[in-house]
Amino acid sequence: MGSILLLALVGALLELDTTYAFQLTFSRGIVAGPLLGLLIGDVMTGLQIGIFTELLFVDFSPLGGMLPPSAVVCCAVSLMGCSLGIPAYFSFFFGVLGAIFFSICEIYVRKQRASWVARQEQKIFKKPSYVTWAIVKALGLSFAMTFLFILIFGGAVSNVFVKVLPYLSEQLNIAGKFAYMAVPWIGLATLVSTFRLKAR
Amino acid sequence: MNFTMHAKLFFRSFFLQTGWNFAKYQNLGLAFVMFPFLKKIYAQDKDALPSVLQRYLANFNTQPAMASFCFGALAKQEERLAQAKTLPIYQERLSEWNAIKRSLSITSASIGDRLFWGALKPFTLLFALCIWLLLDVNFFEIEIQHTGLVQVFGAVLVAFCTFNVLSLFVKWKGISLSYHAPNNGCFGLTQFDWNKTIYDAKRMGILFASVLLLWGVYYFVNDLSGLTTIQFITRAVIVLFFVSISLITRDLGIPNMYVYIAAMLIFSIVGLF
Repeated sequence: MGSILLLALVGALLELDTTYAFQLTFSRGIVAGPLLGLLIGDVMTGLQIGIFTELLFVDFSPLGGMLPPSAVVCCAVSLMGCSLGIPAYFSFFFGVLGAIFFSICEIYVRKQRASWVARQEQKIFKKPSYVTWAIVKALGLSFAMTFLFILIFGGAVSNVFVKVLPYLSEQLNIAGKFAYMAVPWIGLATLVSTFRLKAR
Repeated sequence: MNFTMHAKLFFRSFFLQTGWNFAKYQNLGLAFVMFPFLKKIYAQDKDALPSVLQRYLANFNTQPAMASFCFGALAKQEERLAQAKTLPIYQERLSEWNAIKRSLSITSASIGDRLFWGALKPFTLLFALCIWLLLDVNFFEIEIQHTGLVQVFGAVLVAFCTFNVLSLFVKWKGISLSYHAPNNGCFGLTQFDWNKTIYDAKRMGILFASVLLLWGVYYFVNDLSGLTTIQFITRAVIVLFFVSISLITRDLGIPNMYVYIAAMLIFSIVGLF
C-alpha cells in the first residue's frame, strides 16, 4: 500500500509538468519511468516501461487543444502492478489503458474548468491580486484529480489482476510477452516517419 | 523592462498553462504571467487594472516555450497603450494590441509546435536511446539486464538538458527580443532562422532514427547463441511484422497505442484457443 500511495503522490506531482506547471519534460516517459522505478526499488523496469511508454505515444503531440495520453499515468499504473508482482508485460497493458482513460477524464475536466475559470475571472475583476490564488487553486485541483485517478485506477486494477494472475495460462503469458516485445518496434518505425521531411 | 521584471515574467511563464480550459485556453495563465508588469505600469492608476486584466483574460493559446515572444511584445504594446493621451489614439493602439496578441500567438505556436514537439522532443528521445544502447542497456529484451544508476540517469540527464537548454534559452531570450524589437522586426522572431533549425533537426533525426532501427534489429537478433532457429525466426517475424504494421497505420492515422492494444487482444485470443 505504501508504494502505491508513493507512486500516486509522485506521479501526480510529475503529471503537473505535462501541462499545468513548468513543462520541463519531467513528465516524459524516459524521465518519469526511471524516477518512479526508483521509488519501488526497480529502476530497470521503470526505465524499460518509460522507454516503451514514450515510444508508444511518440505519434502524439500536444498541438493546439489536443491531449496526448499521459506518460506519467502509464508509468505509474504499470509500476504499481510491478510493485505487487505483476509482470511488466501485463502491467504495461493496464498502464496504457490508464493513460487513455486519464486523457478522457482530463478532456472532461478541461471542459468543466471553463465555468470555474469564469467564476475566477469575476473574482479577479473585483480584486486583481486574486489571480495568484486562482493559479494556486488550479494547480491544487489538478494535482488532487491526478492523485485520485492514479490511486483508484492503478490500485484497483493492480489488486484485482494480482489475484487473477495465478489462474492465467502459459499461453496468455506468452501472448502478453509478444505484444510487449512489439512496442519498441512500433515506436521506432514511427520515429522514422516522424522525422519525414516536408517542404520547407 | 529591467532585469527583475524580466526574471518575474520568466519564472511566472512556467505557469502559463495552469488553468488551461477549452473555452479560453491559457487566459488565466497569461493574466498571471503579466500581472506584475501591469501592476507596475498602472501603479498610478490602480482603478484601471481590473479592466486591463480583463483583456488578458480573453482567449489566448500558444506553445509554452515560444509564448515568451508574446509576453515581451504585449508588454511593449501595453506601455504604448498606457501612454496614449487621447481616446482615438488609445482605441487605435488597443486594436493594434489585439491584432498583435492574436497573430503573434498563432505564429509562435506554429514555430514552437514544429520545433519543440515535432523535432526536439523525438530527437532527444533518440539521443537517449542511442546512449543506452552504447552503454549496453538492451531495452528490447523482456528481462532487462541491470545497469548502474549512472548509466540509466546519465542518458536521462543528457536528453533532459538538451531539451531544456534550448527551451529555457528561447523562453528567456524571447521576452527581451520581442520587447526591444524595432517596429519592422517581427517582434524578434526573425532573429532566428526557425525553418532551418527545424529542417536540420529533422534531417539529423531521420538519420539517427534509421541508424537506431537497424542497430535495434542487430541487438535483437544478435545473441544467437541461446536461440534456436524457431526462436530466431519468431523474433525476425515480430520485428518485420510490427515495423511494417506501424508504417501502414501511421499513414492511415491510427495511433500506435491502438496497434499495441489490438496486438495484445489478438495474441491473447489466439493463446486462449
